[in-house]
Amino acid sequence: MFPNLKVENLSCVRSETTLFENLNFEVLPGQNLEIIGSNGSGKTTLLRVILGLAKQESGKLSWLNSDNNYETFRTFNCFYQGHNLAIKNLLTVYENLYMTKVSSKLTDEKIMLSLNRVGLTRSNEFAGNLSVGQRKRISIARWLLDDYKIYFIDEPFSALDNEATSLIENLIEELNDKGSSFVITGHRPSNIVANRIDI
Amino acid sequence: MTNWINLILRKDLLIAFRRSSTYITPLIFFLIVITFFPLALGPNQNLLSSLAPGIIWIAALLASLLSMETIFSDDYRDGTLDSFFISLEPTFLLVLMKVAIHWLITGLPLLIAASLASLILYLPFESFLPLLLSLVLGTSFMSLLGSLGASLSLGKSAILSAIIVLPFSIPTLLMGTAVVTSAALGQDYNGFLMIMGAMLAIGIPVISLLTVEALQLNYE
Repeated sequence: MFPNLKVENLSCVRSETTLFENLNFEVLPGQNLEIIGSNGSGKTTLLRVILGLAKQESGKLSWLNSDNNYETFRTFNCFYQGHNLAIKNLLTVYENLYMTKVSSKLTDEKIMLSLNRVGLTRSNEFAGNLSVGQRKRISIARWLLDDYKIYFIDEPFSALDNEATSLIENLIEELNDKGSSFVITGHRPSNIVANRIDI
Repeated sequence: MTNWINLILRKDLLIAFRRSSTYITPLIFFLIVITFFPLALGPNQNLLSSLAPGIIWIAALLASLLSMETIFSDDYRDGTLDSFFISLEPTFLLVLMKVAIHWLITGLPLLIAASLASLILYLPFESFLPLLLSLVLGTSFMSLLGSLGASLSLGKSAILSAIIVLPFSIPTLLMGTAVVTSAALGQDYNGFLMIMGAMLAIGIPVISLLTVEALQLNYE
């Protein structure tokens, strides 16, 4: 099995402080990686460096292409959920999902299935009127709209109740069975099956 | 890619429509400036007519500055800009889409308001079409410049984008005013229009690529 992503000797410096150095790991299909660290340890920065949203000091990122060769640039679509959930307050729940960029045409049925799966029933409600937890469910519903090879989720379990936490754990397991991988960050280990890195 | 472009257009236009201040504020500002000049200068038709090109152009330029900061700021704050960069789609296309949307929201209403302004300021009838043509080219260029100013001032004070853009908008102001003044005097204005067209044609690839670089600077 070829890893979709290989990280070799990755280092990052911010304001003359080394956040992490010489990190090595692989993300295999259907397997998860959990990055554990305290506040300010560089968890979010690591995700952003991998996705090209932040600069790395040194190291190599290798992405698998369709010919099973490795490129230094990403060749497939990934899902990224940061602290800011990319949710538009002036769009309804339904519209926020409908206007997500996916590789194939989004049908009403698919959107409603995703919303039902995450327990959101008020699809015509403006996202700005929802609670933090409900807005997070919108972002989780996006996970189901396309076939992403890797999901990069920054602190997926923060600000969630037990029910929502179980929902995410079950979803991750389902998507793992379909071959998708999750790279998530957190302050402490979660209940999902994952390799762990401490930074 | 077409689907992605349609998504951005629909999303941003829908949001702009629901946040009416985005398009109403520049419009109201423009109309206020236009109506205050006759109040301040008096109803002297000849005086207003001679000053009309400059007044309309200054009002349009300042009005378009008001909303420049919003071109990327919302997307930056809520994380949507991250998803654009991750999406594997060309970022310069995103910039061009944002510029087009900004023009549709602010430039196009200004064109309509300029028709009213030309009546209020007694602009000669033969200057009306050149005014509209110059405003189409000029406001488009202003939206383009605005995207660069907005990307350079992302996450910082809103006034910064205006300060960055203002000096570079002077050629647009000079050419735009020259078009309308020439038309009012019965002179050939095509040369000035061509210069404005050339500025826009060169600006589209150059400024959009500079804007992409400026956006990426925010991620380093």
